[in-house]
Amino acid sequence: MEETLAVRKLDRLGVVLVTAGIVAIALLPFIYVKANRIAAGKPMLLTQLLNQPSAIILTILLIVTAVAVLFLQNALLRLVISTLCFAALLATIGFAASAFTPPNSNAARMTPGGGFWVLFAVIGLIVSDALVKIELTPWMRIAALVVYTGLLGIFLASGLLDDLSIMKEFATRSAQFWTEALAHLLLAFGSLAIAIVIGLPLGILCFWVPKLRAVVLQGLSLIQTIPSLALFGILMLPLGYLATHVPAAASIGIRGIGAAPALIALILYSLLPIVANTVVGLQGVDPSVRDAAAGMGLTRRQILTRIDLPLAFPVILTGIRIVLVQAIGLVTVAALIGGGGFGIFIFQGLGQTAMDLVLLGAVPTVFFAFSSAVILDAVIDSIRGSAA
Amino acid sequence: MLKKFALAVSLSAFAAGAAHAADVVVSSKIDTEGTLLGNVIVLALNANGIKTQDRVALGTTPVLRKAITAGEIDIYPEYTGNAGFFFNKADDAAWKNLQQGYDLAKKLDYDANKIVWLTPSPANNTWALAVRNDVAGPNKLKTMSDFGKWVAGGGAAKLVASAEFINSAGALPAFQTTYGFTLKPDQEIVLSGGDTAATIKAAADQTNGANTAMVYGTDGAIQAAELTVLEDDKNVQQVYAPTAIIREEVLKANPKIEVVLAPIFKSLTADELRKLNGKIQVDGEPAKSVAEGYLKEKGFLK
Repeated sequence: MEETLAVRKLDRLGVVLVTAGIVAIALLPFIYVKANRIAAGKPMLLTQLLNQPSAIILTILLIVTAVAVLFLQNALLRLVISTLCFAALLATIGFAASAFTPPNSNAARMTPGGGFWVLFAVIGLIVSDALVKIELTPWMRIAALVVYTGLLGIFLASGLLDDLSIMKEFATRSAQFWTEALAHLLLAFGSLAIAIVIGLPLGILCFWVPKLRAVVLQGLSLIQTIPSLALFGILMLPLGYLATHVPAAASIGIRGIGAAPALIALILYSLLPIVANTVVGLQGVDPSVRDAAAGMGLTRRQILTRIDLPLAFPVILTGIRIVLVQAIGLVTVAALIGGGGFGIFIFQGLGQTAMDLVLLGAVPTVFFAFSSAVILDAVIDSIRGSAA
Repeated sequence: MLKKFALAVSLSAFAAGAAHAADVVVSSKIDTEGTLLGNVIVLALNANGIKTQDRVALGTTPVLRKAITAGEIDIYPEYTGNAGFFFNKADDAAWKNLQQGYDLAKKLDYDANKIVWLTPSPANNTWALAVRNDVAGPNKLKTMSDFGKWVAGGGAAKLVASAEFINSAGALPAFQTTYGFTLKPDQEIVLSGGDTAATIKAAADQTNGANTAMVYGTDGAIQAAELTVLEDDKNVQQVYAPTAIIREEVLKANPKIEVVLAPIFKSLTADELRKLNGKIQVDGEPAKSVAEGYLKEKGFLK
């Protein structure tokens, strides 16, 4: 116990984070009170909200967290304090939004300001730093993700944040939100699944046939350099032609607009990391292991399935992780060619200069990309861990 | 797990592709006015017993054009002036007149693609100048001719606009020549790459003394920003009148569509569109409920 409370040398990351937090509180607005969606809005600093109990509790917790980050050695204690602070931050912005919303106004918007977002990032980093220091096992990391997602879910479900601008945008579009969420995830995971089915055999083939390797990898790299919107546009022409001239193609959903060009473009982008990582993974398998297996009488196919692929699997999985995170982000552009997804909110919001609507599309996209990365990283580490 | 997703994707794509081939596929651009008019069409057709498939807010103009010429969508709202760009005839003088531009667009698109242009709205979503109400009122500014006289007589106009608007021959220079006024360099604030949302905001907040803004005629933010749009009474700008356009094949199968939509589009004046766009953009109401509210208010929907 003495050790946990022992004063330690100032943590360098901690100093940076605490400084950023203090600057954000002192200079950046915590919340904007706007008469409507596009009005300039009245900026309010956190210090101007101190007539509210939640803001006072938040301020106290912010000070405690700062002290903990700078001086406290025990990561678990820091985790508990910063998590409490995180919850207080969310509660405070919710209460502040409710306090400033005029009664009977649907047009008024309470938008979180730069101060809130910096604090959100700073406390988020403190929490994740503490989680890293605790050295969770891979499965515990997924559990932590579930716990924090659940915490956020409780806040959202409680209605505490309902007066916040982004939740107002959600309220008027809740049905569409879930449709677009499903479309978004189907496109991301669907393109990944198909890319794996194509990319894995292609990668194995490239490993076996070195001449093919250079051609395929260079071709795929070339595709990677085409901007996403341009690739969607390029695909519209041949697919539209196919749909109008081959009725069978049209009847299975191949069209110039909508999900088909988006799916194909995403698959094309996904192939390079999968093929390249498959090749690299297989190259990393010690040839003497392969020789030994051949010596024991294993066929080429048995060597592939029992030796090569299991040993190369963590590297291949790393490629899949890159692809998934990339695809979740890229799907947003599909909204411009009728593919649906969260991009709908982003582009409509940009057109209306309604940043809250942009956030309604952007925040869930970031959340899904982040969660997928955490989960796949944990899976990769657990496989590496059990193989070692 | 992943294969299941792949299956679900192909199944949903299949379902979307095969869904009720006879339904009228209604689409629109992804912007505010497009989404509003798309919803107006869907609601009006549904209320009159015409089954629709809702593909509103599909994408940008080139996407919509490709989709309707390929027969993937059946009807969507387009602007008369845009036809000049579709058919490489942007310099034709006809685009500067609503009726002539409409007639030309109708003919070109029917001859080339068998697409029928239905009744247009008497609105014009094109470049215009808007002046702060507290300036327009005392100086009696309603038209661009009024504005020209006012500025030529020493009126203290200060315009905020994009570099494109100030420099391209068809925009500010054309206004200045036709209406006989010249803005001095210190009467212009150039926002490079500025869009109308930014210029409207600048005039509303009187940033650097701005009192006149470059706008599009039916921008939803104009009313909230307390600006008056000046009428282009000598037709300097091309007319961009919103018009539902439909594939002839589908119109023949559902001839009622023209009768249903004509009075609705005729009722959508620039003032109405500004008000409705404003409800979506400024108040954040969903386009569908704004469209429904309008149709009910005007008695098109029960």
